[in-house]
Amino acid sequence: MAASSQPSSDAVGVDLRAVRKWYGPVQAVRDVSLAIRPGEIVSLLGPSGCGKTTTLRMIAGLEHPDAGEIRIGGALVNAVAPWKRNIGMVFQNYALFPHMSVAENVAFGLAMRREGRAAIDAKVAAAMAQVRLAPLADRRPSQLSGGQRQRVALARAIVTRPSVLLLDEPLAALDRKLREQMQVEIKQLQREVGITTVFVTHDQEEALTLSDRIVVMEEGRVVQTGTPSEVYERPRSRFVSDFIGFTNAVRGRVEAVEAGTATVAMGSGQTIRVPAEADIAPAQAVDLVVRPEKVEVDPPEAARPGRTLIAGTLRHSVYTGAVTYHHVDIGGGETLIAMTPNGDGHAGPPALGSPVTLGVRPENMLVFARAG
Amino acid sequence: MADLAPPVRPVPASERWLAAYVGLIVLFLALPVLIVVPLAFSSDVSLTFPPRGVSLRWFSNIWARPEFLSAFGLSAAVAVVATAISMVAGVLAAIAFVRHAFPGRDALLMLFMTPLVFPAIVLAAALALVMTPLGLLRSFWGLALAHVVLTLPYILRTAVATLTEIDRSYAEAAHTLGADRWQAFRHVTLPMLRPGLLAGATFALIISFDEFTVSMFLVGPGVMTLPLEMYNYSEFTLDPTLAAISTVLLVLTSIAILVIEKLVGLGKQFGG
Repeated sequence: MAASSQPSSDAVGVDLRAVRKWYGPVQAVRDVSLAIRPGEIVSLLGPSGCGKTTTLRMIAGLEHPDAGEIRIGGALVNAVAPWKRNIGMVFQNYALFPHMSVAENVAFGLAMRREGRAAIDAKVAAAMAQVRLAPLADRRPSQLSGGQRQRVALARAIVTRPSVLLLDEPLAALDRKLREQMQVEIKQLQREVGITTVFVTHDQEEALTLSDRIVVMEEGRVVQTGTPSEVYERPRSRFVSDFIGFTNAVRGRVEAVEAGTATVAMGSGQTIRVPAEADIAPAQAVDLVVRPEKVEVDPPEAARPGRTLIAGTLRHSVYTGAVTYHHVDIGGGETLIAMTPNGDGHAGPPALGSPVTLGVRPENMLVFARAG
Repeated sequence: MADLAPPVRPVPASERWLAAYVGLIVLFLALPVLIVVPLAFSSDVSLTFPPRGVSLRWFSNIWARPEFLSAFGLSAAVAVVATAISMVAGVLAAIAFVRHAFPGRDALLMLFMTPLVFPAIVLAAALALVMTPLGLLRSFWGLALAHVVLTLPYILRTAVATLTEIDRSYAEAAHTLGADRWQAFRHVTLPMLRPGLLAGATFALIISFDEFTVSMFLVGPGVMTLPLEMYNYSEFTLDPTLAAISTVLLVLTSIAILVIEKLVGLGKQFGG
């Protein structure tokens, strides 16, 4: 899942150190530090206004950091104009030049680099073939579908063999099916070309699918960096666990902490023992966070060994095809949702209204201190 | 502009009234202009309608009088020079107004637009007062600069409107592809501005060529625009020569508008 792309020999890294950006009194980017490795595909993920696009635009040179350092291939580029950075960028609206044909759009970067006619023609043809657009060379952008425009924008960005490829919400304008298809295509293309890639998205699914590593941002800060599975399985905060994937959160209070294990009482009075980080102290209000697919639902008598067990009552089950979601009342006004796959080997769910036992492997139950 | 065939259906009475009303207004607007054309071909010495005979003598009278030809040449030169200066200044100003935030931006934009709303006579007197110490009174360049003041708002307004519609990501995309500021402007922004600029330039040319009030204060012997030459002529002789000149201008203007319409679709620039 976290297999890294093969960097091409000329791939370069991108480094940000303590980068800050203000817009008037608003600090859009606060001390962002990142080390993007050569050939890696990294996503900047977060809600709108988290500073991810500003960060990308600073790498492109379209915005200037107020403090900090940006390096591409080791060279400090803070004062380097975007047209001298040898980057390729795909804009959210694609920004295809409407007065030029598809081929002219793709050729633009090569023409700016004063390459010869023959070289331009050959490279444009190759790039167009790479994104499977060769038959559309003479069309205008206005005559293309959304997915085709996306491909032209990609071809235009990679044909110059840039050191870094930057993508700003590249798939946001496409419908779901096309988006999933383009995700696969972008990933394949990125591996073929082996180019260091940074893309911005607010879509956690897109980030999980496309990235070697995900950088989660919140209010101008990097809150977690890791492989998709690290960020999904071991979120470091409530924000990250909520933002990436669906998650259960149950309120509790710490009764005791010993040897890295906390005893937490939930609203119903049930207590469970969970592994706890150092910042968890007795009497603290906490959230217990667990992914629905990590929760097993069994009849009370079939409780599995080695699990943290929670007793509850099955309230209803939502069948969605591949999986079923079981909503379980665990007392104290709290509900936990468990997801079970609908494979052949699985027994049917317990009857509605019947008592069940929820089992969670201790390492899958995360504890976060509650703010305030 | 749309050449979609309307569906065949009975026309309600109210729509027929509307059509008649619109027809009358069009007639009212066009009639004085259309009367000029038959008068130009009149054989009468005085301006009488309908003309009693047909002749081309008034057209040959234009050729016989060199002052009309030189006035036409001067008006055309002033219009072209003023429009060219306005285009450069207008596009540069539009970039500043649309792409950059600076203190007093809105006030300055209003100031640029004031020639549209100020009484022309005020501007005329003011320009005459300014031109005199500069030694530009009764000179070609004085006239051309005055016309820049008058035509700039038209260019600036269309340039600002067009540039506002052009997302800045186009220029940014050009930058990321290796184009510096000038190249991005030259190859991306300017071509996208072109239709709006041509529409503005058409207006500017017509406004300048047609200008009377301001020019009156600035012209002099040897520096005479066509509208003023025609006015001077009419003070002494009121014969169909003026109608003949008007007809020539009408034809030239129509050709210019048709050519530009064909090239860029003028109608589109004015929400047609």
